Amino acid sequence: MKPLSRRALLRGAGATIALPLLEAMRPVRASAAAQKVVRLVCIEMVHGAAGSAAIGARKNLWAPAAAGRDFDLAPTSLRRLAPFRDHLTIVSNCDVESADPFTASEIGGDHVRSSAVFLTQSHPKQTEGADVSAGVSFDQLYAQRFGQDTALPSIQLCIEPVDQAGGCGFGYSCVYTDAISWATPTRPLPMIRDPRIVFDRLFGAYGSGASPEERRARRREDRSILDWVLRSAERLRRDLGPSDRVRLNEYLDQVREVERRIARVEASNASGEPRDLPDAPAGVPDSFSEHVALMFDLQLLAFASDVTRVVSFKLGRDNSNRVYPESGCSGPFHNASHHGGREDRIDDFAKINTYHVGTIAYLLERMSKTADLDGTLLDNVLVLYGSPMGDSNMHNHKRVPFFAAGHAGGALKGGVHVKAPAGTPLANAMLTLLRRLGLDDLPAFGDSTGALGL
Amino acid sequence: MTKLLAAVLLTLLAADTAANVTGTWNMGVQGGHVVPVALVLTQDGKDVTGTIAMPTQHAGERKEVTLKGALDGKALSLSGTVDGAADPTTIEISGTLQDDGTMEGTLTINGSDRHSAPWTAERLKERK
Repeated sequence: MKPLSRRALLRGAGATIALPLLEAMRPVRASAAAQKVVRLVCIEMVHGAAGSAAIGARKNLWAPAAAGRDFDLAPTSLRRLAPFRDHLTIVSNCDVESADPFTASEIGGDHVRSSAVFLTQSHPKQTEGADVSAGVSFDQLYAQRFGQDTALPSIQLCIEPVDQAGGCGFGYSCVYTDAISWATPTRPLPMIRDPRIVFDRLFGAYGSGASPEERRARRREDRSILDWVLRSAERLRRDLGPSDRVRLNEYLDQVREVERRIARVEASNASGEPRDLPDAPAGVPDSFSEHVALMFDLQLLAFASDVTRVVSFKLGRDNSNRVYPESGCSGPFHNASHHGGREDRIDDFAKINTYHVGTIAYLLERMSKTADLDGTLLDNVLVLYGSPMGDSNMHNHKRVPFFAAGHAGGALKGGVHVKAPAGTPLANAMLTLLRRLGLDDLPAFGDSTGALGL
Repeated sequence: MTKLLAAVLLTLLAADTAANVTGTWNMGVQGGHVVPVALVLTQDGKDVTGTIAMPTQHAGERKEVTLKGALDGKALSLSGTVDGAADPTTIEISGTLQDDGTMEGTLTINGSDRHSAPWTAERLKERK
């Protein structure tokens, strides 16, 4: 059989579905293996961590006590990642000075300014107008170099609402709060909150031929996108070997399963029952963990189909007073983050941090079970997780929480906790990571002063 | 003669290292949490003038209050009136310059009620 193109599609009237990587794409596989195509997920959890407060640091509520390979995750908010410790690169003790105020008028604007700094490590210009400026973000630097062969160079996702207009206070545009990905220093990229829109974006990436009205009509008929490509899938199956048939079936089952979950959420939210998030779009689950899991599964589909290799994902908002009942902390997020330096309240905030990091365990688990070129997806991904804030009670940007997961195609050994010298810019760690990802000619990143050994 | 020279040198040295609070301070006022507030001061001899950007009830908005006072040794005292407040309101700031260059003290708001809160401050590293 003639080798299948990596860009082969299942096509039907009004639908296209990109394919997962198959044995039948062997020349592509060989080339991809040679290129070490690393997938990138950058996750921002806002507003620091309990372990960045003085008491929290002493109790190792974020970073482990020991640097090196013999670290203990048990007291930390990372403990649910213990099954993946060999894939973890924990970087502690770094600062994000670009989120600090640089002038008197910027003092107090930490909440509004910080998210723009997380992936750019650049100081945002204080403006409420259209003349916003920060820096090119980590994910976009990678996408601009390695994301140009896919239908979508990158995709930007979020959990909380990010649709504010104008100024968000302290003389800052809401764009700085609402976007973490910056294609250029002056072009922030909008983020998608609704899983339905993400699904349509992924499976319309090659042009589905279906209008939004047609897609809505299909949903009203309770029909799947797969119904439109049945014949195309059947034709392809006939040409595939047994293992590829299994892989294709599994992949299409995953597509259908995610589609069903979105439809279920939409139906529930349209039932007229009171919602916890009354202003959220119909496709957004009220449950944080359900929403996050759905977004992760969409990211996995995006990687499986190679529609994109780069994702940024914003998990929260600084000023959110969302309650996370599953965390064991009954207080709202923002209040909990302002713990007043009290040990009992710091411990409570740590429960929320632990819960948030626990959602990443789901992603890593799924990645560890997803076959990829010479290993699993977890071997060939770099997941960044962190916050531009340190001690949320102080609104400072010192000792910020940060870790990387995945072996990034062999670029990161993992299983290590790197405790940086005091005052090290987080940008130094990010510069190292970008170089390891293949941008080895990058002279600097954000406010980096050099590379940090990882 | 040697004693006289030493005394002059010590006097000059003391004058040279006299405390000066001129500059922009990133002040953290301890309420339920630490609220960052801009304190901008100018010192002339013992006299100190400046402004404090007080947070208002509207998130993200600040009200600038003009301050006057003095630095006596390392003890700072400032006060100012909040223009346009519904009830006559004054702000009093007392503090001490620490050996490490930071300041700490108490901020009191005298309005329809009286509220006091501890504060610390460090000089802002002003950058462009």
